[in-house]
Amino acid sequence: MDRRIVFILVALAVIIPMLLPVNLPVSVSEPTQKLHTYIDALPAESTIMIAFDYGPASLAELNPMAKALLRQCFDKNIHVIAITLFADATTLASTLIQEIAAEKGAVDGEDYVFLGFRPGATQVILGMGTEISSVFETDYNGTATGEIPIMKDITNYDQISLLIDLASGSSTESWITYANVQYNLQIAAGVTGVIISQMYPYLQTGQLVGLISGIMGAAEYEKLIDVPAKGMRWINIESFVHLLIVILVIIGNIIFFNQRRREE
Amino acid sequence: MNRQVPLVLCFVFGIVMIVTQFSPHSVSQGLYREVISWALIISPFALVLATVTLIQTHATRIQRRTEHWQYSYVVFAGLITMVVIGVPFGPQNQVFEWLYTNVQVPMDATMFSLLAFFIASAAYRAFRARTFEASLLLITALIVMMGNVPVGDLIWNTVLGWLPLEEGASKARQWILDNPNLSARRGIILGVSLGVISQSIRIILGIERSYLGGGD
Amino acid sequence: MEPFGIWVAALLTLCIYSFLYRDNPLYRFAEHLFVGISVGYGIVLSIHQGFIPFAWKPFWAAVTGESLSGLIKLIPIGIGLLFFARLSPRHTWLIRYPIAILIGFGAGIAIPNVLRANIFEQTRGTVEPFAAMHAGTLSGTGIFEAILMVVGVVCTLTYFFFSVEHRGPVKWLSKVGIAFLMIGFGSAFGNTVMGRVALLIQRADFLLGDWLHIIS
Repeated sequence: MDRRIVFILVALAVIIPMLLPVNLPVSVSEPTQKLHTYIDALPAESTIMIAFDYGPASLAELNPMAKALLRQCFDKNIHVIAITLFADATTLASTLIQEIAAEKGAVDGEDYVFLGFRPGATQVILGMGTEISSVFETDYNGTATGEIPIMKDITNYDQISLLIDLASGSSTESWITYANVQYNLQIAAGVTGVIISQMYPYLQTGQLVGLISGIMGAAEYEKLIDVPAKGMRWINIESFVHLLIVILVIIGNIIFFNQRRREE
Repeated sequence: MNRQVPLVLCFVFGIVMIVTQFSPHSVSQGLYREVISWALIISPFALVLATVTLIQTHATRIQRRTEHWQYSYVVFAGLITMVVIGVPFGPQNQVFEWLYTNVQVPMDATMFSLLAFFIASAAYRAFRARTFEASLLLITALIVMMGNVPVGDLIWNTVLGWLPLEEGASKARQWILDNPNLSARRGIILGVSLGVISQSIRIILGIERSYLGGGD
Repeated sequence: MEPFGIWVAALLTLCIYSFLYRDNPLYRFAEHLFVGISVGYGIVLSIHQGFIPFAWKPFWAAVTGESLSGLIKLIPIGIGLLFFARLSPRHTWLIRYPIAILIGFGAGIAIPNVLRANIFEQTRGTVEPFAAMHAGTLSGTGIFEAILMVVGVVCTLTYFFFSVEHRGPVKWLSKVGIAFLMIGFGSAFGNTVMGRVALLIQRADFLLGDWLHIIS
């Protein structure tokens, strides 16, 4: 079969279900549930930090979970400090936070703040451990960190209840290695499909308090906060593409074994 | 001067970072903060390396008229446009944000989505149960793939419902990730970390010098 | 996104998808534009969010006498400026200074932290279930999983242990290690498929929804 036929089949497996109202039930995995429970148990006006450590290439998986997390935080009146270690994520993160803040009526500086980007991931993580304002003297809009209401009582990680790293690369390992070990900061992660498997050793040891796994995790989180959005919609469409790939693999193997039998 | 001073600097900064982490004394902690702030100050300058390399590569392509050299002008056009707008007016400038949102984001997202097609094609053409090990890889991949989507549970329960297995492909996927996958990943983490530590010691002691590059 | 922006994004998306048919000028144009725009974006962000707050502001404060304590910051700023030596072939060796500092800093900070995060903690995670087993709080399944984990970790590490020849029992341990690794890679493949397909769905959602308005 020409590879272009496979390409067409893949495209059809995406487009056709997109035009149909498919709504299969989503079951919630334990790592996602753990993170939701952890945030849910935080008292109002606690502060969490969200690191948008992904570029546009991963927004399909990580934007839905970022939105679901922000919705939960704003609903529970949990303060959010957002940063990024990825230059590419800066505008993306800024836009996304503003969108959800507008939806939930959250106020910049009082309910959330976006500090922006600083180069040198390890240095940034370590620097914030001693004093956040030594790394982010101002927020992304140029307001001095000390003048931002929600930053008034925040000096370093000691006042942060949880860091959630939305990651498409090795940033979660850096947060664990430097912020968790050095400063006892609690870490959770929302990651792309590519790196889900390598997060499990950290989940078992408790170095990660929870994990949202790719688009499936985003759908699970949307179910937990009871706000179905893109995650739920896309995971249903994803079902058909996975099914197609499984069928292609099985057909490929049947052909392979038939050929081998004939050759023998 | 060319090689000895960098080796000494590397040694001093490496040792300072190790020692200050273990000493709560105020002088030690002050030094620790100072070194971190030095590293923060130096990092943004590293951008020069990446930019100069990119410019040189494409300037050489234009100069030597290598294949598709004309497209190097497109690289420069994109780069210069962003810099000319972004540097004086800042990253929150409307035109700069428009270019990011409508040019960079869609292309970046689309470029990586191409892999969905290639991964499907490769799975059909090359994912074969040739050996025991390959079969393990294949079966695990199929279970995880089905466990990752809602339809997986429906199919699993219909096809394998008569077996005394846990309900749903999602549960099977979770068990794989929590157990054999975890063991393999932990083995890799331990191996890689031992490598990182030994390499770091070699760097600080000046045994590993490849970062200095060639020449004098 | 306003209509013109959506059209630009949609056309660039299609330019990149045209590669699925074969390599062509439209794809090459989009690919090169993407490189230029994204590097330009990175330069602007690094200047405004890195160079200005970390180097320019302390430098200006020191020069104008606003913050004399900031004078010490002139040293790392000077070291950072050495990256510009990359522009002069005769002085390129000077970039070894800032690189050596960053490498030394990275190596020094890594040794104790990697040791604690990845060696001690991961080892603790591997043996801890046995404490629960000893205390009698682990179920039958838990005991099986604890043993499976130790076997997996030890065998995977054996596979990566090249200091002894893989013969006899070592060979068998290493073979079991390969089996665990295959399951690990299989699960990674299954998860990667999910990730890549999600990217494709997002682009299709954009084209059919935002651009063509076929879906809501």
